[in-house]
Amino acid sequence: MSERVLQEFPRVSMICEVLRNEAPYLVGVINKQREEFGIEWVEEFERDLATFFAGDMSKLCLATQGYIKFALDGMLLQKRFDKTGQYEVKTYDQAAAEVYQNEQYMQSLYLPGIYLSHFLWRHHFIQHVYFLKEFIPRVKAHGGTTYYDVGVGTGFYLREMLRRVPSLKGVGFDLSPSSLSYSRQMVTAFGLQDRCTFNLQDILKNPPKTPASFLTNVEVLEHLEDPLGFLKGLNTMLESGGLAMITAAVTAPNADHIYLYSSVAELVSQVKEAGFTVIDSREDKAYEPKKPKESVPRNAVVIVTK
Amino acid sequence: MNVLSKMVEVFKRVFDDDTIHLVEGTTAPDIPGWDSLTHINLIIEIEEEFDLKFTVDDIVGLKNVGEMVEMVERKLASKSDA
Repeated sequence: MSERVLQEFPRVSMICEVLRNEAPYLVGVINKQREEFGIEWVEEFERDLATFFAGDMSKLCLATQGYIKFALDGMLLQKRFDKTGQYEVKTYDQAAAEVYQNEQYMQSLYLPGIYLSHFLWRHHFIQHVYFLKEFIPRVKAHGGTTYYDVGVGTGFYLREMLRRVPSLKGVGFDLSPSSLSYSRQMVTAFGLQDRCTFNLQDILKNPPKTPASFLTNVEVLEHLEDPLGFLKGLNTMLESGGLAMITAAVTAPNADHIYLYSSVAELVSQVKEAGFTVIDSREDKAYEPKKPKESVPRNAVVIVTK
Repeated sequence: MNVLSKMVEVFKRVFDDDTIHLVEGTTAPDIPGWDSLTHINLIIEIEEEFDLKFTVDDIVGLKNVGEMVEMVERKLASKSDA
């Protein structure tokens, strides 16, 4: 993308500058995304950054530095995964101590890394587009008004649901105080704070008293030792006839990934066993491998009802 | 063979290009194809070449060949001290 075009998008331009200065091998991602998804990708990215970071360019700079480390960590683990075919053995409690309860790690690296990955990673951006084109129209047609985001993370999908469906009221659940704090910042930046609440809550031990019309559960399952048990708990949180979008990372090692999904078919099988009916599913990869034997991070997503 | 000389051999293998010439200031835009995937392949090959294991903290600040050489020299020194 030319410097002239970038001048029209100061925050995307700032990300380019940080990448060019601190991790020059990563800067190519901007042009790759632009080539695949068009100028609309740049426009949407800039709008999102402008709303979330407003004029705080130093915060954006720090977030980009966090993204660099987050991306490198994932890539290094991906190469180690190629040799073993397994994620590093870890219990949920170990992952929680290293990541979710580690405020410094969450705020400086993990949460900004995930937020920026929604635009900078091909498969994450495609998942968002799929959510907008396939899930949101179904939600609007359904007409329900209650919504739970279980494992709210950065608050990205919670805020997207509330933004796209003005009649909704939402609750974000997470086990990480850092996630809830970041999600509050997210919905506040988008002016949605009056339409949602946040609960630091284990939904298996302490499920909400009433089910919701809609659920999202985005990239949570791979963080668990027993995703099927979790899905069964999730099933009780959805009204009969309600809709949920559930996703999982596939062959995508990370510091806190425990359960290894090998394909979208495995996710489909689990959600069915948990009592959901699958409406649609898809799988996307982050990039084309350079060698045939190289593993590639992928995302599996299903839209379900019950 | 010093670290930079061995590094040149690693780059030649990863990029499959015997004509590659490195100086300390060589950085990604100087070598066609030096993208994120190739970078991580370089890191893994360098690990194997020098029998080292890197963490993300070791590699996060690397912007050019000189910094890669310095990092390897530092890791080799701490390994021989251990």
